[in-house]
Amino acid sequence: MKLIAGVDIGNSTTEVCIGQVNDAGNLGFLSSVSRFTTGTKGTLDNVAGIRVALEEAMEKLHMPISKLDLIRINEAAPVIGDTAMETITETIITDSSMIGHNPSTPAGAGQAVGKLIELEHLSQAKTGVPYIVAAKKSWNYEEIAKSINEGMKTFDIVGIILQADEAVLVENRLEKKIPIVDEVRNIDYVPEGKRAAIEVALPGENIRMLSNPYGIATLLELDAADTKAVTPIAKSLIGKRSAVVIRTPHGNVRENVLPAGTIFISGKEPLHRDLPAETVEVNIDAGAEAIMKKLESAGEIEDISGQPSTNVGHMLSGIKRDMGNISSESSEDIRITDILAVDTLAPVPVSGALAGETCLEKAVSIAAMVKTKQLPMEKIAYELNRQLSVPVKVAGVEAVMATLGALTTPGTTLPLAILDLGGGSTDAALIDERGQVAATHKAGAGELVSMLIQTELGLHSRTTAEEIKKYPLARVESLFHMRLESGAMHFFQDAIDPRYFGSVVLLEPHDMIKIEEDLSMEKIVQVRREAKKKVFVTNALRALREVAPENDLRKIPNIVLVGGSAWDFEIPEMLMEEFSNYRIVCGRGNIRRTEGPRNAVATGLVMSYLGEKN
Amino acid sequence: MITNRPSIFIYTYNPDADILKEICAGIEEEGVLFDVIEKPEMDTRDLAYEAANESVLGSGIGLSYGMAAMQMRNVNRDKPVFLLDRPDKEMSRKLGTNSARAIKRKAFQI
Repeated sequence: MKLIAGVDIGNSTTEVCIGQVNDAGNLGFLSSVSRFTTGTKGTLDNVAGIRVALEEAMEKLHMPISKLDLIRINEAAPVIGDTAMETITETIITDSSMIGHNPSTPAGAGQAVGKLIELEHLSQAKTGVPYIVAAKKSWNYEEIAKSINEGMKTFDIVGIILQADEAVLVENRLEKKIPIVDEVRNIDYVPEGKRAAIEVALPGENIRMLSNPYGIATLLELDAADTKAVTPIAKSLIGKRSAVVIRTPHGNVRENVLPAGTIFISGKEPLHRDLPAETVEVNIDAGAEAIMKKLESAGEIEDISGQPSTNVGHMLSGIKRDMGNISSESSEDIRITDILAVDTLAPVPVSGALAGETCLEKAVSIAAMVKTKQLPMEKIAYELNRQLSVPVKVAGVEAVMATLGALTTPGTTLPLAILDLGGGSTDAALIDERGQVAATHKAGAGELVSMLIQTELGLHSRTTAEEIKKYPLARVESLFHMRLESGAMHFFQDAIDPRYFGSVVLLEPHDMIKIEEDLSMEKIVQVRREAKKKVFVTNALRALREVAPENDLRKIPNIVLVGGSAWDFEIPEMLMEEFSNYRIVCGRGNIRRTEGPRNAVATGLVMSYLGEKN
Repeated sequence: MITNRPSIFIYTYNPDADILKEICAGIEEEGVLFDVIEKPEMDTRDLAYEAANESVLGSGIGLSYGMAAMQMRNVNRDKPVFLLDRPDKEMSRKLGTNSARAIKRKAFQI
């Protein structure tokens, strides 16, 4: 009787499966475990994580690791999905100042133009000049209202900017109604003496003048060049309930554009046999769809690079450099063999924004697949053997092992395709009736989804983005009930903690996580679903087409989804829907009838031991 | 007392004037109506409970000396949503804001 361990080192998790082979050659599975991968996949740092996972798996059997007869680790394909995805966009910097936000309760309505003056200096104002008064938090609403009422008798006061949340309180005490913007935290940055335009929207509406470049031009009397420069400001004010735009004197407006750049794709084989291998190029500005089309036209790819001193150039050379440091190979030996480009919207900070306002710019996110000469799996095997004194063997290609493992899913038959939806890459493999395996790895998977969610929603932490990806949403509508994203209602026996009241929450199985950012549930759902679709549906089609017989998807009868992202609560359904168009049976794997979509590679590694012995 | 006006009820017994003023400012800034009603001596929790259940809007505040409570309809009498002992200016203002936000179903300021 022999105890065999299969170890699969993935980008995010390390999975272990322990199997037992009896003297008759029959295989039985005893335990399996999944742990976070320590370090970058394929480096010696992984050993610590492997040990922990092995210990835990053997613990379940009440045995020490030394009882193992053999550890089999995957020969990880020499391809790493890099997570250094960057949003690439043109950066426009202007020096006009503005405040645009949605204070919960501004007051008054309409627009006005005037010279900025601090409340303290109101007595020094000149008659006949329209003024917008800025009042700090140290003044209370009664004092402000009194000073303004007094000042209005002599001076022309057309608008008020308040630091405190007191617009309604002040307005209720004014004798003449004027627009008031409140909750301006950084009021100290409001430059006194400059010309400014202020606008507060009517109830239920958004501002109209200041969210329109020509509106700003009208109010602040700008020429064509200045109008062009304030366009990002106007854009960032769209959908706001109140805003202030401050004109900086001519010459202060500066524009600085860092071009997004061009991608160069070098093919491995010439498109025609009389021609040399070609390099195709495509500009980032053309958008994700055009980039992916060019990529496809290049055939098998030798390397991808970016135009120097552009956004994409910096990004791609950065990835090669980082990977070079990890694998201690020079960056010439490191090549990028695949990219996934996805259209997205990224909030770009507008300089001169007094409350950190951003402007949504069209951007392209890119995930890159990096190929090094060799991953040091042998080194990992040697180190494991040294630490544990158990024989370690590097056995079998990852994709082959995954298909073997996936075959243990009830209801599958050959030819069988697997889609491994991982953290860094989306892999596909097809095993036919003769046991021949075709495999491919595509850049972009779960981590790219998290990044898209984070940028598009402008979240501060990646953790929140990860949680949004993983859990469904609800909105707490009273202390006794919440509305789920599906539209259903859920009631509580006892009043829940008031800190959740009125908030959007994530339904983690044992807890509720409050979303701190001011985002509507509908917006989050839309961004989350779009991100998953843009990454996984695109990549699934791309990868399967490559392994399918004659590149025809209809020739694949069944697809088993494996890998961490196959656990997701909606990705498998999205893929099923897509593949039903091709009459393909597609579903979440259930490895060994018990493991769900996890542990396919580790299981395959144990199974392949039998094959080798015979 | 106008009983069917849609307003937040503030039931008081010997209230601290500064706290009451800030609570009212908090509600006013949110644009919600309120009525301050003097009551005989009662526990702050009971004042808030009755205010919330008698208000058409289902939101009420109890204030007795320096003790303030915010309550919503149907919430347990002994467990007011917020209970503050001698709140400062900012806390008092927020208590008023939150009693208005309870009606608007907007997240509380905490």
